[in-house]
Amino acid sequence: MRWSLSFFLFGFLAAVHALSSSGNRLLVVLEDASEKDSFSMFWSDLEARGYNLDFQSPKSDQLSLFELGDRAYDHLLVLPPRSKGLGPALSPKNIIDFMDKDGNVLLALSGKSTTPSAISSLLLELDFHLSSDRSSIAVDHFNYDTISATEKHDVLLLQRPGQLRKDTKSFFGGEGVLAFPRTEPHTLGNESPLMAPILRAPATAYSYNPKEGSFSVEDVGVTGTQMALVSAMQARNSARFTLLGSVDSLRDEWFSATVQAPGGKKTETANREFAQQLTAWTFKETGVLKVGTIEHHLAPTAEAPDVELNPAIYRIKNETVFSIEVSEYAHDRFIPFEVPSDDALQLEFTMLSPFHRLDLQPTSRTENSTIYSTQFTTPDQHGIFSFRVNYKRPFLTNLEEKHEVTVRHFAHDEYPRSWKISGGWVWIAGLWSVIGGFLAFVIMWLYSAPAPAASKTKKSQ
Amino acid sequence: MPTKRAGASPAPPSITKSLSSGPKTLPPNASVFDIAHYVWQQYLATTSERTMLLDVFMVFLVLVGAIQFAYCVLAGNFPFNAFLSGFSAAVGQFVLTASLRMQTSNGVPKEGTKVAKSKDESGQVGSVSHERAFADYIFGSLILHFFCINFIN
Repeated sequence: MRWSLSFFLFGFLAAVHALSSSGNRLLVVLEDASEKDSFSMFWSDLEARGYNLDFQSPKSDQLSLFELGDRAYDHLLVLPPRSKGLGPALSPKNIIDFMDKDGNVLLALSGKSTTPSAISSLLLELDFHLSSDRSSIAVDHFNYDTISATEKHDVLLLQRPGQLRKDTKSFFGGEGVLAFPRTEPHTLGNESPLMAPILRAPATAYSYNPKEGSFSVEDVGVTGTQMALVSAMQARNSARFTLLGSVDSLRDEWFSATVQAPGGKKTETANREFAQQLTAWTFKETGVLKVGTIEHHLAPTAEAPDVELNPAIYRIKNETVFSIEVSEYAHDRFIPFEVPSDDALQLEFTMLSPFHRLDLQPTSRTENSTIYSTQFTTPDQHGIFSFRVNYKRPFLTNLEEKHEVTVRHFAHDEYPRSWKISGGWVWIAGLWSVIGGFLAFVIMWLYSAPAPAASKTKKSQ
Repeated sequence: MPTKRAGASPAPPSITKSLSSGPKTLPPNASVFDIAHYVWQQYLATTSERTMLLDVFMVFLVLVGAIQFAYCVLAGNFPFNAFLSGFSAAVGQFVLTASLRMQTSNGVPKEGTKVAKSKDESGQVGSVSHERAFADYIFGSLILHFFCINFIN
């Protein structure tokens, strides 16, 4: 009864919910068809949000990410295979090509089996690093589930992640405890601006290889918060790749399990909400920015209230207004995009290097967009400039806008007349006194013709 | 040069005599003031009216130019184009006037000023008549004024 009710409810929600902003064809790569049922709630959640799930085995012959050169699916969900690899259709190169064509990938790992080297090399290409034996497991003796993992301590209990930094949006926050059973941890490469950890291990966690039998402290690879359990990579074309360390956390048993931390109370896990948030972000239901209209024009003045919109040419020292309309896709519709409190959307006015870098302020909101604008004076430098908005933040798709305009110098009749500048009055007076003196001199010269010459001409006549 | 020597040392009287066509000659041991006064008297006595008019105008131009330059030094050069055109008007007018003076004040006025002098008449080659020189002067000055007014905006 409860099941049918929830299905009815989800069917209703599916009608309300539209699709992901980038399509609804989802390929699920699942090697063992019998395992499909153990994720039934996860699949129903995805279908309720409008995805067309296509389950394929990696060994299938007709499996291909591309069809006639274009991608055949919008999103790819890979569950960890039992066998050695993912087959020729899902080679690292194919998956990278899939991302190059704006496909999104959610890749789950499991600590139960050794990760295939094909997946490991794919991850290395994206700068995710697994341990060298590819079969380590995250363990924490302080944040484990006392009900299910009393001996092994390999079911990690974690708080849901908040903001990554103060200037980023939180897409994975909320109340509740997450259970991560048998997690394969990974580390992130240094200095890649495209990657961001979504969920880090607690400070007391460490990783080890359970297959090596005896465990010694010297074998510890990575420990504490340098281990990431869930991470995201957003390519420069805004294609998203999410690495989930524990595929078991998506199983039905963990969607509604009751867990208990050492010395804590029994609580329900929030895995289901987290899985929804994770798939929603990966498959571009959240954190997708869209630029609407971009306008730039001269600031209207009392003399010229009507200004031309988006002119191709400006003059130096013009008061200029720039505005950009930004929307954010949230699950089923576009909403006004709000910049996080510690962050700023910035406008650059550049010719090779920025002459201005200004914070854009929200000036008005429509039903599904915010209009950011700023006013500035064009620099005292003529040339080909461009208005640039370059907003690249973790978990948000990249905004890069560039609009070229010409900035000309003053026309000959646009300078103020000389007498308007009081500092130049002395020189103006000097010039006109020279001219006046010249005229007086000419007149006096003409009236002072030498008498001897006149008398001599008379004599000669 | 000869006047200096006359003030510094006993000079031969032939120099002062040859220099003078004025009313009196200068004693050999005259003071600086006397020499200056003598030179001034000589100038007044020997210079034609037109040349003196030219000299007065040139002194006026020097004054105007000096005032403008001093103002630029004291008050700064904004607007610079006004300074350039005002100052260069004074300097250019001075140069034009100086060239007019060179062309018209060759000693006492001579005969036959209406036509260009021939070689045997004055010993000068390519010299021009006063009227022609004056017309050139007016033409050059008008061009100068046009450019300066245009440049000062």
